[in-house]
Amino acid sequence: MTEVIQRAENVVKTFLYEFPTCTTEELTFKLEVPVDIPLAGSTRELVQRVITMFHVPVYLEDDLNEKLSKFVAQETKTFHNSRDGKLIDQLKNSEINVEGVIKNWEKLFKENVMEFAEQKGTSDEEVFAAAYHKLVHSPALETILQVENSYAKTILNTLENREDDIKKLTEKQTEEMEEKIKQLNISTTEEEINGLAAAHFEQQALVAGRWGSQLDALRQTQRAQHRAWLMNTLEEYQSTSALNTPSNSPLATFSPELGPLPVVPGAAGAHRLEESFTIHLGSQLKQTHNIRIVAMDLLDLCIVNPQEGSRRLQTSLSLYSSELSGVVLLTESPPRRPAPPTTTLVSAATSSTEHHFADVELQLKEISEKVREPADKRNNQRQREQSENMSNCSNSSNGNNSNSGPRMRPRRDLQTGDIFITKHSNLDEVHVVFHLIVDDSELRSGDITSRHPAILGLRNILKAACSNDITSLSIPLLLRHEMSEEMTVAWCARRAELVLKCAKGFMLEAAGWGGADLRTLHFVLPPATRPPLFATLAHLLPSIFRISNPVKCSRPRD
Amino acid sequence: MMFQDNEEDYKFGACTYFAKNHPGETCGSNGLPLTPSSITILGRAQRLLTIEHPNLCTYLDVIRGKHERIIVVAEVIGKSLKECSQKFSNDEITNIAKQLANGLNFLHQQDIVHRTLSDDNIFIDSNGRVKLFNYGLYNMTGGGSEVSFPLGLPRYLSPETILNGGGPAADVWSFGIILLELCIGKLWNNLKPGPILRRILTLVHASNPAERIAREHDCLEQYKQIPEDLKIVIEKCLSIYPNERATFDDVIEMLSRVDTKLVAEVKAPRGLMGCKLQYLYYWWQLAGGDIQSELKKNYLIKNSPPILSMPIAILLDGCTIGGKSGALFDRRIAKYSLGLLKSRLSHIPPHDYYPLMHERRKQYDAVTLPKIIRERDTEYQFYRLLWFQRLLHGYPYTAPYIRAEAEVDIPPLLRGQVWAALLGVVGDIEEQYERIDKETPTPTDRQIDVDIPRCHQYCWLLCGSAGHRTLKRLLKAWLLTNPQYVYWQGLDSLTAPFLYLNFCNEARAFACLSAFVPKFLHKFFLKDNSAVIKEYLAKFWQMTAFHEPELATHLHDINFVPELFAIPWFLTMFSHVFPLHKIVHLWDALLVEGPALPLFMGVGILRQLRDTLLSSGFNECILLFSDLPEIDIGECVKESIDMCRSSPRSISYRRFTNEAQVKDPMDIVEIPMEVLFTELCPRISLSDFFSLICQDKCCVIDIRSNLLYEKSCIDGSINVPYSGVHLGQHELRALGLHPQRVLQEAIKLKKIVVVASAEDETAQLFSDYLVKCGVPKVCILHGGISALLAHVPSLFVVPPKRNGHK
Repeated sequence: MTEVIQRAENVVKTFLYEFPTCTTEELTFKLEVPVDIPLAGSTRELVQRVITMFHVPVYLEDDLNEKLSKFVAQETKTFHNSRDGKLIDQLKNSEINVEGVIKNWEKLFKENVMEFAEQKGTSDEEVFAAAYHKLVHSPALETILQVENSYAKTILNTLENREDDIKKLTEKQTEEMEEKIKQLNISTTEEEINGLAAAHFEQQALVAGRWGSQLDALRQTQRAQHRAWLMNTLEEYQSTSALNTPSNSPLATFSPELGPLPVVPGAAGAHRLEESFTIHLGSQLKQTHNIRIVAMDLLDLCIVNPQEGSRRLQTSLSLYSSELSGVVLLTESPPRRPAPPTTTLVSAATSSTEHHFADVELQLKEISEKVREPADKRNNQRQREQSENMSNCSNSSNGNNSNSGPRMRPRRDLQTGDIFITKHSNLDEVHVVFHLIVDDSELRSGDITSRHPAILGLRNILKAACSNDITSLSIPLLLRHEMSEEMTVAWCARRAELVLKCAKGFMLEAAGWGGADLRTLHFVLPPATRPPLFATLAHLLPSIFRISNPVKCSRPRD
Repeated sequence: MMFQDNEEDYKFGACTYFAKNHPGETCGSNGLPLTPSSITILGRAQRLLTIEHPNLCTYLDVIRGKHERIIVVAEVIGKSLKECSQKFSNDEITNIAKQLANGLNFLHQQDIVHRTLSDDNIFIDSNGRVKLFNYGLYNMTGGGSEVSFPLGLPRYLSPETILNGGGPAADVWSFGIILLELCIGKLWNNLKPGPILRRILTLVHASNPAERIAREHDCLEQYKQIPEDLKIVIEKCLSIYPNERATFDDVIEMLSRVDTKLVAEVKAPRGLMGCKLQYLYYWWQLAGGDIQSELKKNYLIKNSPPILSMPIAILLDGCTIGGKSGALFDRRIAKYSLGLLKSRLSHIPPHDYYPLMHERRKQYDAVTLPKIIRERDTEYQFYRLLWFQRLLHGYPYTAPYIRAEAEVDIPPLLRGQVWAALLGVVGDIEEQYERIDKETPTPTDRQIDVDIPRCHQYCWLLCGSAGHRTLKRLLKAWLLTNPQYVYWQGLDSLTAPFLYLNFCNEARAFACLSAFVPKFLHKFFLKDNSAVIKEYLAKFWQMTAFHEPELATHLHDINFVPELFAIPWFLTMFSHVFPLHKIVHLWDALLVEGPALPLFMGVGILRQLRDTLLSSGFNECILLFSDLPEIDIGECVKESIDMCRSSPRSISYRRFTNEAQVKDPMDIVEIPMEVLFTELCPRISLSDFFSLICQDKCCVIDIRSNLLYEKSCIDGSINVPYSGVHLGQHELRALGLHPQRVLQEAIKLKKIVVVASAEDETAQLFSDYLVKCGVPKVCILHGGISALLAHVPSLFVVPPKRNGHK
């Protein structure tokens, strides 16, 4: 690792030294030694080098030591004082923008030092976070989960009703339309049919809008209720300090069918192909990580199965802890116009109320607004560099570059290799979703290198995980969510090897960053992976990572 | 037991801040990722830990926390000037000024600029003693470049500092402001930074800034009443132009002319409070003291849930959008009392604080516990530290005592010093080191530059630029002073433990390295070191056969020879293979036991992997050693010491050592190198054999013909005529009932099996055969029967006719 060396411009001064020759009194040897001011090393060491280099008699050592150290001290003092003296002269002559300098200091103090910062207490967000974290680690946990579950159920029911309603309406409209069409040229005209279609469309929009606002209102009410109830509960908890079931539970207002939930084995997780390893990384000091390879749909980590409460429990417990879990989704579309899998994630996230963060749609909107400026700046610069390169090699035959290069997206959007991040409290097993923007056709075609944007994006994700306390992360091992025909066994093995090796390198690198340790890394394969392919890829792991074997106690021997 | 919560109880304090994050994705000039700022700070701060001065609070620790947090722990006394509400008398002010000037002058002599001098980092106790706290902030943060917050408080900044200049003379200005404040009260109270800075800058137009400040504060009368001597000092310090300002040398000189009552001499405390502060801090931590918890209690460490500060996007170049905004720098200090430690050590009688060297010391029951646990035991470390401190005071005269104690264990806090003592480092090492040219470029520099960023980089000290620079200097110095040697990769790893333990004492690290190599790695760094390494590996292989015959046979069969894995083990004395916290334990034993131990440590490592190795083929073995699995070092050290001590000295003899040449024919075991490479079993010298016989610790197998045997044989030996042995059958049973019984008995009693013959060739073949049969501790009598007969004829007898023998 290296360090950027920022140093004030040093100066070189010449140190003069004279000493008499032994033979003639008048004749003296003269030394001229250039010395960096300020001097980084010790003057005594410099003296030793001078003595060897110029064959200075050793009896002069003490004298030389003294003179040089005095010289350096004096020159250093002069160096500082003359520089600072000039500054003060400039100030006196009003050659310095005093206001600018002072504004800069003011800003520095105000933004960075507690004493001068504008009074800002703990934010609402933090208060709520602390309250929630405390309560989920108290006996109130079960109640909280039940309440959240029942809230989710209400939303789900409403959603079902909406679907029903829309379906019924659609059926009715189809019937009407069919009837009308039959009558075409008999008793109706084309204009009438067009009119009907327009009317139908309007009806649809009306119904959708009505349900939408109803859902919004419901979510808002739930959120407000949830907050109010939690804060009350906390107060009560703190005053009584013994609490089993909160007496003011809003459960009372719900139908009693919400008993303890029956445990139904999740259909998705039943027959997963998976294997786990504990690995060691590092040549001398070993760090331990868990690695899991599994064939499943990454979105299963997000979609909540209402029948299954246990996984949500873990997610709630760790929501405000420093052991978050994240998932990497590959997407082709920027946050402005989401496409699958982002849309699937959105529907999973909106199937219950987001009690803690902004709604996912709002988050996406905010992201697309906030990235506009930095992305624009970066893309422009890239374009400039590209056109410069183009003009540089325009003489050589490089015409085919333009169509084989990455597809240009709108200038103000994120590009391949960029990442946007959403956070969630109501997903099944993850808190944070990294949306890595990729070019699927490029990833499909096979050979990519470790400098590919998708791989570099993974590195950024691992780095972000490290500095934001995400200790469990799932990434698509083949950089594809689905199997497709070009993905032969050889293709998969090659891709998996590349991703695993890069991940290993990034993990080693992350050890020096001083953030959170990545405890578990899940490598996820498409759900349609056949067992033989899975076995091949699972076999790759021990050859790339060092599987730790436990320390064995030597047997007592005789 | 309760302790009074008075101010004198607080012994140290801590403050914390965040280092700056490197923006985006940047790389250094060598293509490697940038060092995190916290690492750079940690490296720079090490020097501060060694500074001691009566007017400076000693730095005790610099801790790197998660996410670039730095925690600085240092001594505190009394309370800060800011907390002092009373007005000081002129005498008191002069006293404070004198002490401050002494402290600051010392810093400037060390090339350390304070820059952050302010009323909240000057501490004064009830006796009037003054100390500066955290005076190294500017220094450790590289002039503030490693942090995002501005250093210092606005009202103490000198005009040139505000204009982004400022050298040591800026401290003189701050010192002047402090004195002025002591005389006329706090300046620019209730003003925001902007207006304060503006006022300071307008002072450049004043002819007498001090007076102008006083006038601005309506304190002109008060100002005029300041004694003339003091006023001159203040005015000299508050000169606008730095070259007109007094230096601290001048200030001290001027103040010495002012008559004041001297600060009352405080008698040095005895008992616990008389111990070195570093020791107190160390014991306090062992007793459960926790720096971070107190910081949390005072809200100096706030943990906002990470999910709330998640970024919203990351561009491909690593540029992060949204998320964490930098935490504010909080200047407050958390103070710690020693109550915890006092109650932990309250039962210790006063005289235990002053152990006498020639007194028989009591044994602590902790000695039987594993080393790692002993290193964490407060009371045990209390006794050990005091005792070792005592012994080290008497070094080099106490060298034998130190060695004897080091055999038990070495207190981690003093390991650097103890190692130096064990290696016999004496003399003016600083001066010797100073004389070596570590700067002039040499051809090896390039290789060194490549290797250093790969050497023990998990260690925060060694991975920073300070660590890299020092390691390079050490390597260059060593190469220059050892012109017979060249730089072999691995020398960097070998140097690392010494640097790690003597980070601020390069000279000692160098002296240790210089003493270590001739003792343990004589001639290993020759340009052509193949003979040395080959001999070493051959001896290692013999020791493996001696202690682990079954394993050795297996590895032989699959042709997995030590050249494939053990060269880095021995060339670096395992420092390339293990992390530093394990190396130190390994080397603790090495330094005490001497140069034969590494051979047995190699065997110890193989022994821990025994089961895996026995079930592995060649390829699996290669894979296993390419990245060595976790090894229990405590166990390995224990076993290797056992093996080393139970083996006769002569069997591990090597010719390439620094030891005096063996002259006595009774002690000679040297054989030509070609012979050595063919022999699986080591040779034992006549004198070692003699002493084994005398102690009845060996089983002698005479493989001459029975005719020769019956004429005259070694007393107690058995005869297995070589001509009758079927070398193909690897079973003891094939030797016949009597020899089998004798050998099994010998194995059970852990006796050494000595093969005695008339000629070398048969002895070698037969001893190989025994190893293949799984017999441990087989060796060959050097020189055979004839040599023994010539030197120790008294051992020979005429064997009695066996009963039943027809």
